[in-house]
Amino acid sequence: MKPRSHEPIFWSLFGGGGMLAALVGPILVLIVGLLVPMGMGFGPDAMGYEQMRALLGHPLVGFGLAILIALFFFHAAHRILHTLHDLGVHATPRLKQICYGSAVGGSALAVLVALVLVVRA
Amino acid sequence: MNPPRTYTRGMQRWWLRRPSYQFYLLREGTSVVIALYGVFLLMGMAALAVGPGAFEAWRAVLFSPLSWLLHLVVLAAFTFHAWTWFKVLPLTVPPFKTRRFPRGFSDATLNRMALWAWGVVSLVILVAALRGLQ
Amino acid sequence: MTQTRTIIIECLRFHPETDEAPYYQSYEVPFTAEMSVLEGLQYIKDHLDGTLTFRWSCRMAICGSCGCMVNNEPVLSCQTFLRDYHPSRIRVEPLAHFPILRDLTIDQTDFLAKLESVHPYLIPSADDDPGDQPRNQTPDQIQDYLGYAQCINCLLCYAACPQYGLNEAFTGPAALALLHRYNADSRDAGKAQRMDVINAEEGVWGCTLVGECSEVCPKHVDPARAINQNKIVSTQDYFLRFLKPRGRR
Repeated sequence: MKPRSHEPIFWSLFGGGGMLAALVGPILVLIVGLLVPMGMGFGPDAMGYEQMRALLGHPLVGFGLAILIALFFFHAAHRILHTLHDLGVHATPRLKQICYGSAVGGSALAVLVALVLVVRA
Repeated sequence: MNPPRTYTRGMQRWWLRRPSYQFYLLREGTSVVIALYGVFLLMGMAALAVGPGAFEAWRAVLFSPLSWLLHLVVLAAFTFHAWTWFKVLPLTVPPFKTRRFPRGFSDATLNRMALWAWGVVSLVILVAALRGLQ
Repeated sequence: MTQTRTIIIECLRFHPETDEAPYYQSYEVPFTAEMSVLEGLQYIKDHLDGTLTFRWSCRMAICGSCGCMVNNEPVLSCQTFLRDYHPSRIRVEPLAHFPILRDLTIDQTDFLAKLESVHPYLIPSADDDPGDQPRNQTPDQIQDYLGYAQCINCLLCYAACPQYGLNEAFTGPAALALLHRYNADSRDAGKAQRMDVINAEEGVWGCTLVGECSEVCPKHVDPARAINQNKIVSTQDYFLRFLKPRGRR
């Protein structure tokens, strides 16, 4: 009998990240990266420090963004690992540790920053 | 009897063999952009936590013309990701059968429902941002 | 339409007794509009070169023997027509990702072992013996598996799947589609026996949804769907096993 794969854990995180990246990713990039900086529909003071500080100080927004970033990381870690395999770089345990380890580290950092933003709001 | 000698061909540059393989690698490649964008957002969050000076520096990068250009690429990658994601989504969702739809929904219907959800979510976020981020 | 034209068919040749590595050999083949690639190969064997080896049987896209690569596309050579390529030459190779036995024939040993591993037959439960009575199914119950039951084991899907090419251990599209065909059958009670094949690294988790298996399938079996539906099944099994009573995990 073949051993059970632990892929369901990583695949679920990959799927969650992929779904969020698809649903909210494009509009987020459009607003934050293009509309606000170009001043299209937004004033020159949009996304200023005070405003963003207040917005991300709200636990729902702060932790929401942290979870979004964390799932982006897990989504990417999974796909990058498999694509490296496709390109001939074998998924050694070490490579897996690097891929998913960075995702875990980045996610922890995102949650920590959100915690700071929310607690010191 | 010995098994006959066989010849095994390699997988050298297999993605050149069919255009759909390149499309597939492009789809998977969007994940690199998604990771980098996650890092960029995280840097903005961290700058916000550090203080006004750090955040204004991050915001200055965001407002630079080079950033606009890069964000166009990022937007293209996210949109391509979303489009392909919703395209294959019907393969992965279990067929939910109801009394009115005993055979579940067709792929085309599921894809259309997902695209509508994408549009509605995007619109809600856009309206909220237009109201809240002035 | 009996007008005869000529097309160049380039075949991959390999005879294990004499050849170190495969090479290409070109043949000029006269053809008429209704001739398939298979008939082109038969013309070569009958009139030009009797040493060319390839498999075929039914000539009507149901036996699954004559699969090969035509210009890098996995096809059944009996339902691929020379007229669609003329005046370009065509390149015929054995199905990709499989070891070459001789010329256009591949070694299917690996697939046959995998096919066996998925228990591709109905496994009724012990307390469900219909005796002499027919075992009825509703049209909806039939639809649940009928599409997957169309598989003719032609192996085009394996030749289209880079994951199988990159990792031979992957159970692969046709075997997993047939696994799902029996799991989806209301008369079957053998899911538990097939679960470890699904759950393994080489099972559904060897798939990255390239999706080409379903594109090339001549019988529209849609292995990509079967495999990805079972990623959900495997994920549920992975997490829900902790809720099951001990001894049943």
